[in-house]
Amino acid sequence: MYKNKILFIALLFFITSCNDFFDVNNNPNDPTSSPLSSLLTSSQRNIADGLSIGSSSEGGIGAVLATYNHQMSTREESDQYSVNGNEFYLNQTWTTFFREALVDLDAIIAQGTENKNLTYVGVAKILKAYSFSQMVDVFGDVPFTEFNNFKTTRAPKFDDDAAIYAQLLAMLTEGINDIDNDKSTAALKPSKDDLIYNGSAAKWKKAANTIKLKLYNQIRDVQDVKAEVMLLLSEPSSLINKEDESFLLPYGPLAATDDRHPGFGDYTATQRSNHISPWFYEILKGYNQFIYTGISDPRLPYYVYNQLTPSGAAPNTTEYRDGGFISIYFGSVGPFRDGSQQNAISLFGIYPVGGRYDDGLGGTASAASGTGAAPYRFVTYADRLFIEAELIQAGVVSGNVDAVFASAVTAAFSQVDYVVKSFVKPTQTVPALAGTSAATAYITSVTDLFNSASSVKKLEYIMTQKWLSNVGTTVDQYTDYRRTGFPLLFDPKNPDMAPGGFVKSNAPGSTVNVPVQLSNSFPSSLPWPTAELEKNANAPTQKDPAQYKIFWQK
Amino acid sequence: MKRFLFLIFALVCTLSAGYSQRVISGTVTDAAGQALIGANVIAKEATAIGTITDVDGNFSLKVPAEVTAFVISYAGYETQEVVLGTSNSIKVTLNEGKLLEEVVVTALGISRKEKSLGYSVSQVEASALKEKAEPDLLKTLQGRVAGVDIRTSQGAPGSATRIQIRGNSSFGLETQPLIIVDGVPYSNEQVNTSSQTSGGGAYGSGIAGLDPNDIESFNILKGAAAAAIYGSRASRGVVIITTKSGSSKKRDGVRVNFRTSYAIENVANLPSYQNSYGTGSNFTYANANGSWGPKFGTIDSIPAWPEYLAAYPELFSKTGKTPFRAYPDNVKNLFRTGNVLENSIGVEGGSGATSFGITASTLSHNGYIENSSYKRNNFGIGGSTKIWDRLTVGGNLSYMRGNQTGGFYGENQVGGASSQFARSLFLGRNWNLELPYEDAAGKPLIPNGGSQFDNPYWAALNNVVNSIDERVILGTRLRLDLHKNLALNYNVGSNLYTLNRSEVTQELSRAANGLGRIIDDKFKNREIESTLTLSYNNQLNEDFDLNVNVGHNVNQRETERFTNQGLDFVVPKIYSLKNTATQAFLEDTQSKRRLMGVFGEVGLGYKNFAYLNVGGRNDWSSTLPKENRSYFYPAVSGSLIVSELVKLDVLSYAKLRAGWAKVGNDAPPYRTQDVFIIDENFKGVPRITRSTNTNDPNLSPEFTTELELGAELKFFNNRVGIDFTWYDKKTTDLIYNISVPNSTGYETFTTNVGEISNKGVEIGFNAIPLLTENFEWNIGAAFTKNKNLVVSLADGLERVQLNGVLSELSPYLEPGLPFGYLRGTKVVRDNAGNPLINPATGGMIVADEQGIIGDPNPEFKLGLTTGIRYKNLFLNGLFDYTKGGDIYSVTISSLLGRGVTLDTEDREGGFIIPGNYANPTDLKSGEPLLVDGQPVANHTVLTLNDLYFSPNATTGATFAINTANEWNVYDATVFRLRELTLGYNLPSNLFGFKYFKGGTLSLSGRNLWFFAPNVPKHTNFDPEVNSFGATTTQGIELSAAPTTRRFAVNLNINF
Repeated sequence: MYKNKILFIALLFFITSCNDFFDVNNNPNDPTSSPLSSLLTSSQRNIADGLSIGSSSEGGIGAVLATYNHQMSTREESDQYSVNGNEFYLNQTWTTFFREALVDLDAIIAQGTENKNLTYVGVAKILKAYSFSQMVDVFGDVPFTEFNNFKTTRAPKFDDDAAIYAQLLAMLTEGINDIDNDKSTAALKPSKDDLIYNGSAAKWKKAANTIKLKLYNQIRDVQDVKAEVMLLLSEPSSLINKEDESFLLPYGPLAATDDRHPGFGDYTATQRSNHISPWFYEILKGYNQFIYTGISDPRLPYYVYNQLTPSGAAPNTTEYRDGGFISIYFGSVGPFRDGSQQNAISLFGIYPVGGRYDDGLGGTASAASGTGAAPYRFVTYADRLFIEAELIQAGVVSGNVDAVFASAVTAAFSQVDYVVKSFVKPTQTVPALAGTSAATAYITSVTDLFNSASSVKKLEYIMTQKWLSNVGTTVDQYTDYRRTGFPLLFDPKNPDMAPGGFVKSNAPGSTVNVPVQLSNSFPSSLPWPTAELEKNANAPTQKDPAQYKIFWQK
Repeated sequence: MKRFLFLIFALVCTLSAGYSQRVISGTVTDAAGQALIGANVIAKEATAIGTITDVDGNFSLKVPAEVTAFVISYAGYETQEVVLGTSNSIKVTLNEGKLLEEVVVTALGISRKEKSLGYSVSQVEASALKEKAEPDLLKTLQGRVAGVDIRTSQGAPGSATRIQIRGNSSFGLETQPLIIVDGVPYSNEQVNTSSQTSGGGAYGSGIAGLDPNDIESFNILKGAAAAAIYGSRASRGVVIITTKSGSSKKRDGVRVNFRTSYAIENVANLPSYQNSYGTGSNFTYANANGSWGPKFGTIDSIPAWPEYLAAYPELFSKTGKTPFRAYPDNVKNLFRTGNVLENSIGVEGGSGATSFGITASTLSHNGYIENSSYKRNNFGIGGSTKIWDRLTVGGNLSYMRGNQTGGFYGENQVGGASSQFARSLFLGRNWNLELPYEDAAGKPLIPNGGSQFDNPYWAALNNVVNSIDERVILGTRLRLDLHKNLALNYNVGSNLYTLNRSEVTQELSRAANGLGRIIDDKFKNREIESTLTLSYNNQLNEDFDLNVNVGHNVNQRETERFTNQGLDFVVPKIYSLKNTATQAFLEDTQSKRRLMGVFGEVGLGYKNFAYLNVGGRNDWSSTLPKENRSYFYPAVSGSLIVSELVKLDVLSYAKLRAGWAKVGNDAPPYRTQDVFIIDENFKGVPRITRSTNTNDPNLSPEFTTELELGAELKFFNNRVGIDFTWYDKKTTDLIYNISVPNSTGYETFTTNVGEISNKGVEIGFNAIPLLTENFEWNIGAAFTKNKNLVVSLADGLERVQLNGVLSELSPYLEPGLPFGYLRGTKVVRDNAGNPLINPATGGMIVADEQGIIGDPNPEFKLGLTTGIRYKNLFLNGLFDYTKGGDIYSVTISSLLGRGVTLDTEDREGGFIIPGNYANPTDLKSGEPLLVDGQPVANHTVLTLNDLYFSPNATTGATFAINTANEWNVYDATVFRLRELTLGYNLPSNLFGFKYFKGGTLSLSGRNLWFFAPNVPKHTNFDPEVNSFGATTTQGIELSAAPTTRRFAVNLNINF
């Protein structure tokens, strides 16, 4: 080493303007281009991260929307619907999409088009269309046409949400066409780098068509979508038609790298803040007085994990407790809301986040409680069926809504087993759900109710079952509620739900009355991140989230 | 490396002289017969031979026969030439001089007559840096030098200190001065392994490794005019340090100096706690963090803390209860008495044209925090000799090893972090922390459970950051006298720095998923610098003297960093990466940059009263695009000695000076190409994502231009002196990663933007009001005022975040505002600026938009020093005053919000936040609630608990915890008695032992008293702390370790 230095010193005298001497500025650490495969893996994970329920510094808007959808409750800003443009998870989603997932997809599209790797291009377009559609669904207008074109635009304008949707639908078609047009055997094809479909072109096309169906359904109130929808439904095999065709991103366990679902973070978090909403819990238990009263949902132990046994002692007085289930209310101003219940609160379980199946034995949540390998479900087979049921019920297409509803609920139950067995791979013994007498009884009860219900009630049942099935996937739940007004959500201002400003536990034997308040209206969209508005000269002024409607809202 | 070392040793050890010699001894006194200590005695014929007088004014010098006269000089006195007769003993009396010939070290180590300089140079006496019970060299400079802002960080041993000269003059490049030690740049980086927001260590910075005992001289070139010749890093000022081993000073005979010092330290500022109320909220007991519960005495007992009860049931009554009582000293007892032990031995000597110096020091600092320490060993050796009539060769080698141990600090509420100070200062008043800190399985126990924080005792022993850094500096110097007026100097050296850090988070900690984690961080920095200078000095005629320097400079810097993380220990208590279940490469990077410069300067002096210097430098940098690689910058300065023109009795010396210079600066490496970033694998599949930063292909250098004007005045035979400087510094085309809208696909864009301005005034003052044979009293002052302003940023960019701290609070850059002002959440106000009150909660409403909440830059700093000497007894003191500057404090917020200090003891009764109600239908509109067209005054009563712990973080915000950041920002004005030293100069005849040449025995105290008038009284908060060390994030304190107070005894003896 020193010999080199002495040489170097000796050389100093002989170089005065030798350019080679200064040519040491090529970055030895980072490449100037990337294989398509590594970009694809990266973007897929980032899309899921950006949408999922998170904990600590991981995850995205799922953490906000799960509260808005009343499946989660928390002491954070999303309680009271008061998320503003500074909200961490909101910014997390915006940045994960705009400067990671979407730019990597754009890089695949550009590089793949140039080198004629069309399957990659098609897959990237489908993912890009899906990602943008989720952004539009929560934010409305977002930068689209001028996005990622830094050399010409340093302040991208925000495009009209309706106009973006039209282009997304076209982009999905382009994606399918690109895949179809890839006849070259020499072209690179995705394989294990494609975490979603392991390179299956057929499944990607099904996903693209199902996303189309979903988007058409979402705009059915503002646009006649009959022809498009009928075309798609006329060929069921072109859609997601089986559980294992579901469009989802599988997370993994803590292995050589930490590949766990961001929502599992609450199992290891130092301040657990993702409570399970008592509203959601009571519907699952059959306690709710407005819907499914007396019908208990056997998915509960898959959805929710209780750290305490029914007789376990909580460290502080609890606000809401039913057996081992411990939580806090949305909008609570009760005296026991803020007492620490770190090792007592109930958490999302094995199905939504890869946590623990609730076997009733309790135990403090930890990294060992579960594998964390639950997938983030973008669009499942059950979702496709629920969409179909909604379209029939809404009169957009004809069909047997009772049958489709029944198969949707059945698929939703199978979906739980599929996720547990194929992805989570728990170390504890977890019983199968589908086909059990409890499952069958539940499905029978809800289908019986459905079959005899009024038209409006039918829509409510579809949306409620879809909401129950979609635990952990929040954007579509939020969209569905804003479109249809269902499911029924908890409202602290509703005198039937909180008479005199007090909500009463419906759990048997409970006498607890908790004061609740709500100072904001239900947000019909999320605010734009303040950081974007501040830096982007062409950004609109911040919206009032309660007033601003997405174009597909009536 | 060994071979190279050997060469140096060989060089030093074979130095000897073989001329016929004699020894001359003598005494130098002033007209009053007072011994002059440290007067220069130099052989006239051979300037390489010389010495200085000792504490009694005595000297002894071996000289060759051809030496016929000595030149004896002393600052403030007339230089005298004494012809040597046959006697070997001389007595010299120096007269106080009217004509100062003070010589100072300037750029590139060139000595210049002080009066010829057109810019300000500050010299700090090496002696001022010792005997202060302060192992950190920079901290000893606090308050002493006008224009220099030195800030400490945490009270943990070895933590970083920030130095800044004349303000921040760059957005994104280094803003601390260039430090040159023995001619070689000294890297002063702070290597951060983990974010200091969420639980990093109290990391140190490079300069902590310097040994104060080895300092020969310490000069600060503050402005661009002084520093320009140093090239691209000079815009932020230069600190030139010469070590004893690296000095070319002439020495004769052998002198040995031994120093030892022992200090004890304690927390300087524990809060004053209330001991009337226990945990809970609103007078109701709960096993909570806040001490807002019932009054002691109103309930007898509480359920034993569950974690303790489960682990140690035998420690509690059978009913599982524990008394409800205060533990008044529970915080105090968390801390121990720390100590600092320092030993140093120095040997200097020489003969004829040969001299050498060796210093070896060891320091051991155990902090007041359990298991926190900093240990340092330094060794330096060097020398120089004339190997041929015209060729002088010198070399030096120094080695430093530092070992810092400590815990994790940072914001206590960030998930996944384990801050050792998460609750340490805010313990529930009824918490008994004397109970065992862990259960049988080693799991930390805390009263309120739920892994809210790690027990601080447990954390100290188990969550440990250990950093070992080593530095080797090698320097060689050659001087070839080509002609009597022409010399060639060549200086080449290298500075090798390595840092090895391991951060261990124990299993069962709240951090790292409870699995245990180790992060291994290895950092290397290698710097090589070579400077060749040709100097010409000539007295052209009676009126003019000329000096010219031209030179060539090459610098290469390389860094390497490997950071690896292992998670989940397989076998307990084996802290290696191999013993973990999963490993990740967090960092694996290297960098290399090269810079070359040519420079020249011409100085012309006229009749000893007018001087003009003109210089310039051209740099070529590897980090800029080819076409912008080469850049030139000029410097001009001049001085006028007015006292030569106008003779006034009272005015002994008057000088006016002016300097103007421009300095260019290059970019960090690799900012000319856009890249992709290799990410961690996901499920075994490699991932790559496009970098969130894009680079400007036309990147060009950033330039700083500075004008400085100054005056130096001395009165009454130099008994009173004032040194005044005004400067105006502008930096333009700043190289910075500006943030861009994420919708562009990027987060940042590296380009040239904006302008930043620093204008300021520096005033140095010193006076000797009393001076008699036995008594002397001197006073000094250093005043620093810098006004910093970001003038402009990129077009269309309103502001940029300087560093990300918390999403709701960070330092920012914004035109019209000072560098790094704090921006954070604020509450909604009405048109008149008064906070509006939410009728539903009685609290305030946090606005969606963030706003300006503080400016960490102080208005001014004033340091006052004084020294009194009576015979051999002396007393020195340093008092300093920082006016203004803001600090965001989590410590204060937590102390108030947890209700633990006397500030919140008087809590019965209700409180109403003054203000009007907000319009409840639109809380954030800023519109008041109008009833009959009139606003309604708030009359919602809050408890004191709610007043300091917001009932709702956004719509019921009050003060302290869970509120808008603006309420936790305090004015950081502070008065401080920084040091006091009482000492006794040991006379050389004390022991009647001829080799004993005197010494000093002293007692010193540090940080003895401070007063921060604008922080809540009983928090006793010292606003001098900072959580981000030597970085540009200032004014933010996130549960930092409090400052220390030390008392020391020091002994310094010479042989």
